Amino acid sequence: MRQAKPQSLVIALATVTVITACAVQPGQQPVAPAQPTPTPLGQEENVAQTVKAGELKPPVVAQPCGDNCPYKDQTVTVIVNAAGEKGPISGPLYEIREEFEQATGAKLNIVEVPFAEHFPKLLTDFTTGSGQYDISIAGAWWLGDLVGGDYILSYDQWYTDPRFPKWDIEDVQPGPRSLLEYGGKKYMVANDHDGQVMYYRRDLLEDPNHKAAFKEKYGYDLKVPETWKEFRDVAEYFNGKDLNGDGKPDNGLTMHLKVGGQGMFHFMSFAAPFVIGPENTKLFWFDPQTMKPLMDSPGHLRALETLVDLIQFGPEAMMGWSLGEAWDHFLRGEAALTFTWGDLGALAQQEGSKVKGKTGAALLPGTTEYYNLKTGQWVKVDGVNRVGNTTGGSWAGVISKFSKAPEAAYYLLALMASKPKSLIYAARGWDGVDPGRFSHYLPPAGTAKIEDYLAAGWDEKDIRDYTQAYFDNFSAKLQFPYLRIPGTFEYWTALDIHLSEAATKQKTPEEALKATVADFEAITDRLGREKQREIYVTSLGLDQ
Amino acid sequence: MLRKLSPTAQVLTVGLLIVAVAWVILPFYWAFLNSVKKPADTFANTFIPFLQFQPTLEHWVGELAIPETRQALLNSTMIAIGAATISILIGTPAAYALARFRFHRPSNRFLTTWFLSQRILPPVLFVVPFFLIMRELRLLDSILALVLLNATFTLPFSVIILSQMFRELPRELEEAAYVDGATTFQAFSRVALPLVLPGLVAAWIICMAFSWNEFLFALSLTTKTAIPMPVIIAGAEHTRGVQFWYVGVRTLLTLLPPTILALLAQRYIVRGLTFGAVKG
Amino acid sequence: MATIATTQIPQKRIGLVEHRDRAKRFFLLPAVVWVLAFSIFPLLYALYNSLFSFRFGRINEFVGLQNFGRLLTDANLHSGLRTTLIFVASTIVVQMILGFGLALLLNQEMRGRNVLRAIMILPLFATPVAIGYLGITIFYEQNGPLNVLLRALGIEPVPWLSNPFWALVAVILVDIWQWTPFVFLVSLAALQALPIDLYEAAEVDGASRFASFRYITLPLMTPTLFLILLLRLVEAFKVFDIPTSLTLGGPGRATEVYSLFTYRTAMRFFDHGYAAAQGFLLLVIVSVIVTLLFRRIGRLYDVES
Repeated sequence: MRQAKPQSLVIALATVTVITACAVQPGQQPVAPAQPTPTPLGQEENVAQTVKAGELKPPVVAQPCGDNCPYKDQTVTVIVNAAGEKGPISGPLYEIREEFEQATGAKLNIVEVPFAEHFPKLLTDFTTGSGQYDISIAGAWWLGDLVGGDYILSYDQWYTDPRFPKWDIEDVQPGPRSLLEYGGKKYMVANDHDGQVMYYRRDLLEDPNHKAAFKEKYGYDLKVPETWKEFRDVAEYFNGKDLNGDGKPDNGLTMHLKVGGQGMFHFMSFAAPFVIGPENTKLFWFDPQTMKPLMDSPGHLRALETLVDLIQFGPEAMMGWSLGEAWDHFLRGEAALTFTWGDLGALAQQEGSKVKGKTGAALLPGTTEYYNLKTGQWVKVDGVNRVGNTTGGSWAGVISKFSKAPEAAYYLLALMASKPKSLIYAARGWDGVDPGRFSHYLPPAGTAKIEDYLAAGWDEKDIRDYTQAYFDNFSAKLQFPYLRIPGTFEYWTALDIHLSEAATKQKTPEEALKATVADFEAITDRLGREKQREIYVTSLGLDQ
Repeated sequence: MLRKLSPTAQVLTVGLLIVAVAWVILPFYWAFLNSVKKPADTFANTFIPFLQFQPTLEHWVGELAIPETRQALLNSTMIAIGAATISILIGTPAAYALARFRFHRPSNRFLTTWFLSQRILPPVLFVVPFFLIMRELRLLDSILALVLLNATFTLPFSVIILSQMFRELPRELEEAAYVDGATTFQAFSRVALPLVLPGLVAAWIICMAFSWNEFLFALSLTTKTAIPMPVIIAGAEHTRGVQFWYVGVRTLLTLLPPTILALLAQRYIVRGLTFGAVKG
Repeated sequence: MATIATTQIPQKRIGLVEHRDRAKRFFLLPAVVWVLAFSIFPLLYALYNSLFSFRFGRINEFVGLQNFGRLLTDANLHSGLRTTLIFVASTIVVQMILGFGLALLLNQEMRGRNVLRAIMILPLFATPVAIGYLGITIFYEQNGPLNVLLRALGIEPVPWLSNPFWALVAVILVDIWQWTPFVFLVSLAALQALPIDLYEAAEVDGASRFASFRYITLPLMTPTLFLILLLRLVEAFKVFDIPTSLTLGGPGRATEVYSLFTYRTAMRFFDHGYAAAQGFLLLVIVSVIVTLLFRRIGRLYDVES
């Protein structure tokens, strides 16, 4: 056998050296003078992904505790969706770490896990009682399992306690506020307020040339879409046109439909007005008598068919997109429409965005008729049937029952919920905290000052549209019935997978919904049909 | 191999070689490029640092400044070394026994097959039982749990590879030792073991690389303190989209240790990966 | 210098130390106990689990063989199995052809063979999940390097990760990248060990290059090729890391391989008993295939028969 040749060793050693050099010499930058290099082609296409976080910082609320620290030597571990130090939801935790540690004497640990792993890890920790995490910045749809399993603490006892930073739950609009409580007790400390609204390119919809051409083609005026039918027309009209002046064709809309990328939320807020209406305000998921899933009703089917039809006006790549890529597409000016969370409106204001001052926002479009699940009939409505939603995670802190530092944990969450912090969180784009409080809205809906938003870098038209859209959404008379029973994580994971199958044409919409129903039935059977039914009926506020 | 190749064939050979090497190397280079590019340069189609773009170390510095990443590197190292060491410690005597002693019920052949067959067991079958066992032992989220598991899954490697190595040793030396009154253990540890030392180190390295790369159990059994690199890397793609630069840094941080280790053991790689059936 | 080890150990030699009965058991004992404790015991525990329907803290109910019954009717499981079979078949066929073909071409004295070997080892030991995430950036559809290259060659960009068909192709490509070098390295090692005098004799007899390949190389290489096939089969059926990191099984279920589906059953849907049953089905499938092949392969390991 031959001896190993020294070459390979040299390669290996060289690699090691390079790595070590990188690791131990952080300060040394290459000395080459900064030549003004011409902007390479294609660079612009990525700019939006790197929108600058900006310098805006929330004011310090908690004073250092000096020698009199209430939670000295305690440790608070937070589990949160992975997004990094400057990412949505996780970012503010890094930002506040120092202030919190100085004010309490406690130490803050941050554990980031990918979105799809977060709930399984948390539930595992709870069911094994190991108490690794004190806080989870949790999704509201997990509460059925978290409260039902008696894994998290209600903060009722601390809410009015003067030892903790003060925040006002009444400031949160009733829609999102309802997600903070479960069975009459408070569990989630207000943080992010999720709901999907429609975003449109104001400049395009107001353009006289487009207006004329659109009218010619569709026979009515180009305007902000009010129904999903109009939304489709606008998306179709703009698809394939150059929307940002770079000479390349762009898309009518953008969505995020990657499996495990929260695509199921698109379907929920989209499908609401196909099923919910004045005569059926609550039934969407299950029949409260039998717990049979309602997902394969003609209303749901038409919703999914319409959604799948819309996909042709977006880039094919969006089947593999999570939120970030879908937002960036809009931020680069490459899509005319989208419907998503508050992050996008705020991101559009940041450096690097191509659509600042051009981003309009409005309540999601509706329908002109909906399928009444109670009667099995299509019902025509006067005007447009529009439904508000609290779709999304409304990511907010819950405190583990197994926590060894529950008071320090609540202190942290209350600090982040305090009004001065929340105002800045909501005004910034990068931190993922979306508006939903009266103090976030401009008068007459709320108490925020336009100057604050302008100082935060907002375009005035954009911010007025944005806060109005959120206020309208959360105060809409009809609201999408959010699901918070045990097993919701499983139900929605199944929906997410089947939705992706329909979107990529592996299944017809009908097959996808049938498969969803079959999965729902299996989950219900396993969890106990009657138990599930009782919780579901209670959650709807119906009698047994 | 014997006949001289025609010039065309030689050109073809060299061409194929270049394609094969490029095919292997380019993904690594792409990871390296991303790791030293500023985010704005990501899609700029530039490929040569300094000449085409100004490289930066900010992502490396930033990544290594994160305490969780440093912890994960340490965890991975401990898991790899611990698992490989146990695997070798337990595997070597067994390998020697299979190579030197005759067993009847069960036979050597059966025992060899039995060890070998451990590789057939689908790891996913063990996710739930290991999870429950580790929960009972209070070993969830511990490095020890991953050490034990990886030692189990690499044990077939050390047993089979080393028993082939022992089998190739001339037994005269051990026989001489017996004549001099050595015990079985002395013949093993003083005579045979030193002779297979290079192979032993190689097997150890192969086991280490495998343990470092393991993902399924790392994902399902760690929650906070014991998270190793393959799980950390998943955080580079998140709600704000694919962060090319962090993917670059994290893939290289994860990939390089096992590949470098493997290079050190390259003489034995073919033999190791075929469980000793083919010498490299 | 490579050779396939086929030497039989003379029986007498083994008899030499036959009397040291107690000692030999001590040598074997730790490994056997270890495997029993960490491999066989969990296996039995999994079998026990598979008879229950349970979810932590909520359900724990004996259901007999119900979980195994579900295996027969679960369309999602069947699609996972189908995806895995497609993955296994296509990766192995391509890897065998590319790897063996390349080995045949490079089977000659050449300088720098050790450097080549070093390079070929890199993918084999690269962390699969790291490669998967790296793949996300390589297959990136809008201006990712692969599509930029294709466009430069005048080919339409490919929807690598958003299209069900291409997503599976992407997963397969990554696996081919990682494991073709294995086939190449092993084949080359075995080729170099083939007895040279046979070829010399053939050349003297005026046999064509193809004839020496057909009548010398191929028969002599068959055992090695079978061995490679077996080893690749065993590993390929376990595939989990690459689809999990590259596509998360999507779009839809297009790349949801068997292990990923089982992992999801256990860790997403918390259906632990059913996941155990699924694991056993996979074990049975792989065992049957391997047993059929192993009859021919057993001789490669020079254990006394």
